[in-house]
Amino acid sequence: MKKIHIRLVMTTVVLVAAFAMIALGAAQQTKHQEVDTLNCLECHTCEQPTAQDMCLKPCPTLRMPTAHAKHNLSEAPDTFLIGELSDLYQPVDFNHKLHADMAQMGKGCETCHHYSPPGHIPPCADCHGGEKNPENLRQPSLKGAYHRQCLSCHREWSHDTKCIICHLPTPGGALARPGMDSTDIIGISHPVITVPDKKVYTTPYEQGPVVTLHHQQHIDLFGLRCVDCHKEENCSYCHDLQAQSRPSKTDEEIHAICNDCHIKDACSKCHDHKEKPGFSHASTGWPLNRFHKDLSCRACHPTGKQIARLNNQCTSCHAGWNQQNFSHVVTGLKLDEIHGELECGDCHVDLKYSNKPDCSGCHDDGRTAEDAPPGEYVQKLSLQ
Amino acid sequence: MSLKRREFFKLAALSSAALATNSAFATDDGEVLDCRATYGVLVDTVVCIGCRKCEWACNNQHSLSTEPITAFEDKSVFETHRRPHSKAYTVVNQYSDPATSKAYTMKVQCMHCNEPACVSACIVGALNKANNGPVVYEAWKCIGCRYCMVACPFQIPAYEYDNALNPQVRKCTFCIERHLDEGNRPACVSICPNEALTFGTRQELIDLGHTRIRMQPDRYEDHVYGETEIGGTSWMYLAAADFKNTELPTLPDDAIPQHTETIQHGIFKSFVPPLALYGFLGLVMHSLRKTDNGQEDQ
Repeated sequence: MKKIHIRLVMTTVVLVAAFAMIALGAAQQTKHQEVDTLNCLECHTCEQPTAQDMCLKPCPTLRMPTAHAKHNLSEAPDTFLIGELSDLYQPVDFNHKLHADMAQMGKGCETCHHYSPPGHIPPCADCHGGEKNPENLRQPSLKGAYHRQCLSCHREWSHDTKCIICHLPTPGGALARPGMDSTDIIGISHPVITVPDKKVYTTPYEQGPVVTLHHQQHIDLFGLRCVDCHKEENCSYCHDLQAQSRPSKTDEEIHAICNDCHIKDACSKCHDHKEKPGFSHASTGWPLNRFHKDLSCRACHPTGKQIARLNNQCTSCHAGWNQQNFSHVVTGLKLDEIHGELECGDCHVDLKYSNKPDCSGCHDDGRTAEDAPPGEYVQKLSLQ
Repeated sequence: MSLKRREFFKLAALSSAALATNSAFATDDGEVLDCRATYGVLVDTVVCIGCRKCEWACNNQHSLSTEPITAFEDKSVFETHRRPHSKAYTVVNQYSDPATSKAYTMKVQCMHCNEPACVSACIVGALNKANNGPVVYEAWKCIGCRYCMVACPFQIPAYEYDNALNPQVRKCTFCIERHLDEGNRPACVSICPNEALTFGTRQELIDLGHTRIRMQPDRYEDHVYGETEIGGTSWMYLAAADFKNTELPTLPDDAIPQHTETIQHGIFKSFVPPLALYGFLGLVMHSLRKTDNGQEDQ
């Protein structure tokens, strides 16, 4: 009885395999001769499986020949999301195609798709439930299964087991960093790349061998994306596991990267004999007061890749201000009635508001705004 | 072969338990504990990836430190060999297999022995073996003698030397405060992304360990550490290489309290030896006094 079944199965399987081989033109030999050592009911729910109705169990528990010859990579999705884990990390955007291509260098599909019955690749969740199954300690839960599958290779090859290798931090979560766009470097979602705060280079330029690149500041202050400087860098530029030297850039290539923005700057802008401090707004001759220091750069410098120099006239940003609608009380000085009538330029010579106001236009007793206030000093209003 | 050996040990353990109460472990209730049914954890160092999430989870559970989870991604700690201390009940260390020079990582914590030496050594009963497996410490009973630290073959109990007023012994609690009987798991087991830590009853885990070894003999050393060592431990280990390269010591199968308690209890057995000793001394004194009296008479 059993032998007949086995023969039936064998014939079916061989027929199906032959059909598949013809259909796919695959010269690859499937290992179905191993099937005759198996009990049918290991894989099938019914006594007599047929080609039309294979009645396959979802998860055979024996290691079996997987029929990847029946599957085409084109049937599989290129990328898919692997379930959410926690409030810290986003689901994994798993690039299946990329991994499948790599798997072809190794053991093929069954590198990951273990225990897949012929002609059928079940989703991991079919066997690995969401919670650890206390009845079957042998079987990792879905979370354990995913992590084992991914991390065993990742650890082997890149020696890195950080969560952010696969998971992006949840936006707004405890680990999220503002302004990080995971897609900006290669156009597809890439694990978060940790960036250095600053890098100090030693160059052969004698007048100033030390170049300090305040890397984080270029991102935070100037809003640069990775690709703005890291152009045409391929995967191996970072993922060089054999640690061979990177393709070295010529001096022109290196300068070309910075010259996008620093084309008008002198060499000494970057080159010095010692480390240079990072950018502070005071070095531009316009230290930011309490009203301005919390603004983003683009609030005042809205256009262009390069940050354009502004003049320090208030009206260049606050175009509508004049003595009628400017509430002088925000400066901490409430003007009295007489002074409130004056034009701004009567006290603020040449409309330079960062200089001390000048009283000598009307008063010739040498008074200053401190000892004879043109109104009353009140508590400065906050920037609300 | 190993099966026969296991059967033998099981028989040996059971028969010794039946033979003499001083060699089988009794809980507070005075019942002999069946350590096949107590809780345990199987640590599979072949699956462990050394992510150190268990350290963070343990710190978090016991409020030991406020370091963020990302701080534990630092792999440089593996350069030095670390031990559990009063602010860290579990630490992950890295070893390398001398045969393949492959690195593997192993977590270390209290093993919650079936017959704990620390419990036997504690003179005030501050340490006890709970019925479901964990070795539990009750600080209010502790007098700070630190005998447990001397007795422990794994050198696990740590002491709060920096606490001048109320120092306590500190070690892994098996997260008994998470109520394991209600289906909860220790913090480290819950967080392990690779499920290198498996929680279950000891017998299940011993079977599981041997199953894994049988299924993948090329990946595993044929040894479930803690199955028989010093009478068995609740936390057991699988590894790719011989355990002698790790900090888990090579130990005999006899439970440590067996020797010490046999001697200690033997000396005072039913109070016969002390009575005999003092009786004998009394006789000697009596006979000497007789001769003294005789001398005085003369």
